[in-house]
Amino acid sequence: MKANDVFGDDLVATLPQITTIGVDIGSRQAKAALIGGGSVHTAITASGVDSQETADRLVNRLLRQAGVTRDDLGFVVGTGYGRIALSYEDVPTTIVTEISCHAMGAHALNRGTRTIIDIGGQDAKAIRVDPENGRVIEFIMNDKCAAGTGRFLERIAELLGYTLEELGERSLESGKKIDISSQCVVFAESEVISLKAKGERPQDIAAAIHLASARRVRNLVNRLGLDPEIVFCGGVSNNLGMKQALESLVGHPFTTPKLDMVYAGAVGAAVLAQRHYQAGHA
Amino acid sequence: MTNSLFSADLLPIHALIEAEQQAFIADEGGRKRAGYFCAYTPPEILNAAGLRHARLFKAGSPEIVSQGERYTQSVFCDFSKSCIGAFDKEGGDPFYHAVDKLYTFHTCASMKRAAEVIEQFVPTTLLNLPRLRNEAASRDFFRSEILHYRDDVAELVGRAVTDSEVSAQIALYNKVRRLLRDFSELRKRPNPPLTGLDFLELVRGFYYLPPATLLTAYEKLYQKLARTHDDGSRPIRLMISGSIMADGDRRLVELIEREIGARVVVEDHCTGYRPFAHTLREDGDPFAALADGYLDQAPCARMKPLDDSLDFSTGLAEEYGVDGVIYVYLKFCACYGVSKLEFLDRLTASGVPVLEISSDYSVSDIGQLKTRVEAFLEVLQGQRDDRIETNSKEHVHG
Repeated sequence: MKANDVFGDDLVATLPQITTIGVDIGSRQAKAALIGGGSVHTAITASGVDSQETADRLVNRLLRQAGVTRDDLGFVVGTGYGRIALSYEDVPTTIVTEISCHAMGAHALNRGTRTIIDIGGQDAKAIRVDPENGRVIEFIMNDKCAAGTGRFLERIAELLGYTLEELGERSLESGKKIDISSQCVVFAESEVISLKAKGERPQDIAAAIHLASARRVRNLVNRLGLDPEIVFCGGVSNNLGMKQALESLVGHPFTTPKLDMVYAGAVGAAVLAQRHYQAGHA
Repeated sequence: MTNSLFSADLLPIHALIEAEQQAFIADEGGRKRAGYFCAYTPPEILNAAGLRHARLFKAGSPEIVSQGERYTQSVFCDFSKSCIGAFDKEGGDPFYHAVDKLYTFHTCASMKRAAEVIEQFVPTTLLNLPRLRNEAASRDFFRSEILHYRDDVAELVGRAVTDSEVSAQIALYNKVRRLLRDFSELRKRPNPPLTGLDFLELVRGFYYLPPATLLTAYEKLYQKLARTHDDGSRPIRLMISGSIMADGDRRLVELIEREIGARVVVEDHCTGYRPFAHTLREDGDPFAALADGYLDQAPCARMKPLDDSLDFSTGLAEEYGVDGVIYVYLKFCACYGVSKLEFLDRLTASGVPVLEISSDYSVSDIGQLKTRVEAFLEVLQGQRDDRIETNSKEHVHG
């Protein structure tokens, strides 16, 4: 994609003429973005056991896509759970948390962003972003509880016989409101099983699960204020059922940027890599 | 343990603490051994009676937690579970098994119930601590509870504990508290000569070492630290506020100081700076002095009014010039978990960024903990860079 379309002319004008890559190694999926030559390229793969190997694969794919070589790379920023393992001898690299990267990514992709709700494979967080510069003002992140996260939804989809994509889509067909009281993954699972046994339709159960999860996320992030414009990031942002449930609870529609927001962290990392290069860290 | 645990030269003190614990377990000298849980228990009385004594706040091991969990519901905090687990005859901790008598002032519901479970393992005296710290009636009542405590201690050692003995201990402990304050004062320097981990070790010493031993060792170290030269580095300054940080619960501070390179410069919790902020009256009735002194100390969030705790917390953050506060409470903590919003809102309103962390003694969440703390420090570093930039711009234009 053309950088001007994705980011807008004003941001692109501030970037140096250099190729950078952001790598976001998540708990379930690894994402990477390349900025350079007036374009933005993205790549995604399942997170492997070895973060460095996963990252190398993504980097090579992006270099091929963009038709550039490793020597053209000015800077790499690594982020996500696997970030600690990342290092390159031949390219200047730094590590930034996914919280700062998501903020910068959502800012670069949508200048008016004030709040980010990010739900990934294992965690949910909300970030208040400075619309002036894409920096984090404040954030809240869940602790060990997995309710509402990607892994949880995967498990529920299995139980209902859906793929992960279907889970969100089908929940929109729900015609009946069921209450799921449990806030806990383990108990919600057994609640789903007994609802199935009672003969409830999977569409209705899926909708109920999304609402319960969204409520849990809303309670977690409420303290931040959730000012619009709100952008929904992370792997779960592609789940339409979750998006709708969250929007109705928060009371604002979310702004949808031009790029799949599973890449928000990787894009933010690539933008930060541009800034690092600019600041002479290279 | 190696020297790299501490940045200051704390190994001799660390060794003293270990030796004292061994002596406690081995019953060297045959003195009776008393333990207590909470910073509202005056050790002055225990020391006046010539007891060997220690605050029992070892925790942090998931095994001990699960040992204690056999006696409680899951919704007790990991600290209270650890207290039970450590006293449990199977498994448990030899240091706790060596205790002849446990004294505990009723603080939060979990710890009160924990003490009632522990009664089956060790003779325990449960005493009352009034909540309304500013009422005259609270002071009279607390004084009478301290007299019960003294009588109980006297019975344990088989001799009277005199007023003048207690007065002498108040003066001695005041000296120690003042010295710990002086140590903490050094952390107000832009480049503190001791880390947060160092200070926690000094506090640990306060709760295990006899005050006379402590004074000799600590005064020497203080002189040395006070002369430390500033090497020019300006680490990000943090305050930790919230629940108890047990002896053995170091993972957050280790993460902050050893992995990320920021500094904890002050603690608003009962196992850091907080218990040393106050000096007791040294004249008149020693029991009234203890009652007033312990109620007037920087309050735990279980005390009322909560505003006193909030005022202390925000005041301390300002006094130590911190860049941010990490508010950390144990899951299910009935005091700090429930009043968290008041703390977060008040600190935020005073202009200090706050990171909220709910914690326990498991190890599986270290990745998430690290992400949160690192991201918080990225925010603080960004704000600091902005301030520097603004200042230099103002300088140019001014």
